[in-house]
Amino acid sequence: MTITGLGPHGERAVPADQIHLSEADFAAADKRRFSVAVVLHTTTSDWSRQELAGIATVLGRASAAVVEVVDCGFDAAAQIEALRRLSSENLDAVISIPIGNAAVAEAHRAVSAAGIKLVLLDNAPTGLLPGTDYVSVVSADNFGLGQMAAKLLAAQIGSGGTVGILTYGADFYATREREIAFRKWMAAHRPEICIAREKFANVSEAGAAATRMMADNVQIGGLFVAWDVPAMGVVRALRQHALAVPVTTVDLGNDVAAELAAGGMIKGVAAQRPYDQGVAAGATAILALIGKESPAWIALSGVEVVAANVVEAYQIIWHAPAPKELMGVRRKKAG
Amino acid sequence: MSGGANKSYDSSAGGRAYRSVGRPRTLDAGQNSLALVLNLVRTGQSTTRQEVERESELGRAAVTDRLATLGALGLIADGELGQANGGRAPRHVSFRRDAGVLLLAVLDDASIAVGIADLSGRLVGEHHEALDMADSPASIYERIQVLLAWMQQEQADGAEVWGVGIAVPGPGEQSSDSTLAADLVEPQPWRNRGFAGSVSARFGAPVYVRSSVHMKAIGELKAGAGRGVGDLLFVSLDRSISAGIISDGQLHRGAQGAAGLVGHAPTGEEGAVTCRCGSRGCLEVLAGADAMAREALAAASTERSRYLAETLARNGTLTATDVGHGAQIGDGFCAELIGRSGRLIGESLAPLANLLNPALIVLGGTMAQTGDIMLAAIREAVYRISHPLATRDLRILRSQMGGSAGLVGAAQLVVEELFAPPILKGWIHLGSPRRHPELDRLMVDTQQEEQKRAGRPQPPKRRAGQTRNTGGIEA
Repeated sequence: MTITGLGPHGERAVPADQIHLSEADFAAADKRRFSVAVVLHTTTSDWSRQELAGIATVLGRASAAVVEVVDCGFDAAAQIEALRRLSSENLDAVISIPIGNAAVAEAHRAVSAAGIKLVLLDNAPTGLLPGTDYVSVVSADNFGLGQMAAKLLAAQIGSGGTVGILTYGADFYATREREIAFRKWMAAHRPEICIAREKFANVSEAGAAATRMMADNVQIGGLFVAWDVPAMGVVRALRQHALAVPVTTVDLGNDVAAELAAGGMIKGVAAQRPYDQGVAAGATAILALIGKESPAWIALSGVEVVAANVVEAYQIIWHAPAPKELMGVRRKKAG
Repeated sequence: MSGGANKSYDSSAGGRAYRSVGRPRTLDAGQNSLALVLNLVRTGQSTTRQEVERESELGRAAVTDRLATLGALGLIADGELGQANGGRAPRHVSFRRDAGVLLLAVLDDASIAVGIADLSGRLVGEHHEALDMADSPASIYERIQVLLAWMQQEQADGAEVWGVGIAVPGPGEQSSDSTLAADLVEPQPWRNRGFAGSVSARFGAPVYVRSSVHMKAIGELKAGAGRGVGDLLFVSLDRSISAGIISDGQLHRGAQGAAGLVGHAPTGEEGAVTCRCGSRGCLEVLAGADAMAREALAAASTERSRYLAETLARNGTLTATDVGHGAQIGDGFCAELIGRSGRLIGESLAPLANLLNPALIVLGGTMAQTGDIMLAAIREAVYRISHPLATRDLRILRSQMGGSAGLVGAAQLVVEELFAPPILKGWIHLGSPRRHPELDRLMVDTQQEEQKRAGRPQPPKRRAGQTRNTGGIEA
């Protein structure tokens, strides 16, 4: 798959698989035993666990330690507080996913100003510059993921139908890029499809937002939900109201994978590769710490997942065998 | 600024000359002094009533009245109490930079960028996406407008659009028949009055269209590597190669807005391809991104580069970015190709360094991001060929702002235009440039032109955003 999205300053992506640590790089890092903190919007999702696993693996191989993992609980204020504190600590690098845009810009800038290498995940707040305020942005191709989710959903919708977008209400770059791309794909390939949209302020409200939108737009024939955790909230809420429509989303979490494999409402997933992203982010941090320049925008293409390839995709994304229930479904199909 | 209340704008000389018009009428004087006071507060030159009095040379009663009027118009707001200096502490006043928003778009050879800025020109949001070269000009117009509408709906927080800045490839110059709209020199598809007019009608605000390389140069000066530098050269290295020249802190546009067409400098090498300007051996034909892609394709098909052959097989196409990746991972052909392009570019920039003596050359565009070999080759050629005095302190850097530079520059341009005294005094008493009388005239012109194009009468069009919500995001 190619990377279709551009970077936060319009950069062309350098694929993450081109970011390598050589034996000499490992040797240079080994002697210095770097300390790295990771600041995430949440640590409770499957995406976060995989991202952390990738970061920790590559840092461990370079004799660098993850000395703190901050769970901001989707709260920009919590992130600002954490970054301010970390800026005054004895750290070599911080890997952070900005929560919001302008609100967290100065707190991120303060990290670099304190002499700590800053690697960003998914986005750079407006006004921050690579090389000065941060090392690189390591990201999923969120634009490509939005297009992929649109294509998967369009396959489920008859001519002239209506689809709903359920997206995050906060100023969050990644979900916004997915929505722009989703709309662009639909306008280009299925211009006859109408689009409705509802936002949820936090993940726990996604189900209520979905039922509200379905009540307001009875003709909706499918939903795109910005990522997997709210998507499963939507699926549960629709079931409670005896509703069923095809749903596509981003991220192959365990629950979404099970729903997809079982032939439930989830019909397609545009999956990120968070483990691989974590590896690239960790390698980028090490390269910066040993004085090597990295590209400003490092991106990973997504994986298109439907029921037929969910087991194989799971293995690619999770770097592990699929759970037993998925294997069972696959065996039945093979038999 | 001093004495601005008694002077008016004269564009006939092609520059920002001011001439006295004798004793002004009362209305003009009121608008002039309002404009003067607003600009003093807006630019931070004066932040208290006392400072405004001192800087404007207006009387206390007049300043108090103007500040009250500006407050009632929603253009300034009272702030904190300042330091007392033997009497009552003065209250600070500040410009309400959130009173409106600016929408921005930069069209490049291969991408579209859109952004939104506050009235100080500070960029608060941006989006970049690749352009499909198969897209028609009409679909590119429409995409720009859809993305601008998206920016407004998602990030304007309900604020009205006060102005739109659009940067397009190639030269552009200010219209001679209007102070609110810009026109463009070359009759290429996206350079038509219809586009700027339709954007203006859609957002109900003045639209300014300029050359993207000039906007990027201003952006670098304002927020990038050029901060604090008076003389800089911004060089855009893409399918076309062009330069934005900043001299003594000011953009040099040239008589036709075409200053900086460095891509058409003769290299002295004969090529098989004729440039779009009709000549052979132009820099961009031999060293631009298209030339690099063409060479890469030839090398892939003749197996001179295994990396390029594999990339071509995987992606079905090759770009300058692929050549850059190849060079970074040690492909000899790619490294050599980038080195050659860099040398040709550097050799063309060296005479400019001699001529203009910039303190800084900033390299932007796709090819600037191909890695250190390009940068090193350009530096080597410029330092080797230029006069030693011209390069004594000359720095050559890659742009860190990338595509954001054009957005920042466009925001700066719109701010400068909207608050230029001749334009400002046309709307200040109305509280917003959206209500400038000339904008209505432009709307009528646009409507008439659209009717002419359609060949039949059409119902009157409302000014977008004025009487109704445009309703949802258009995709």
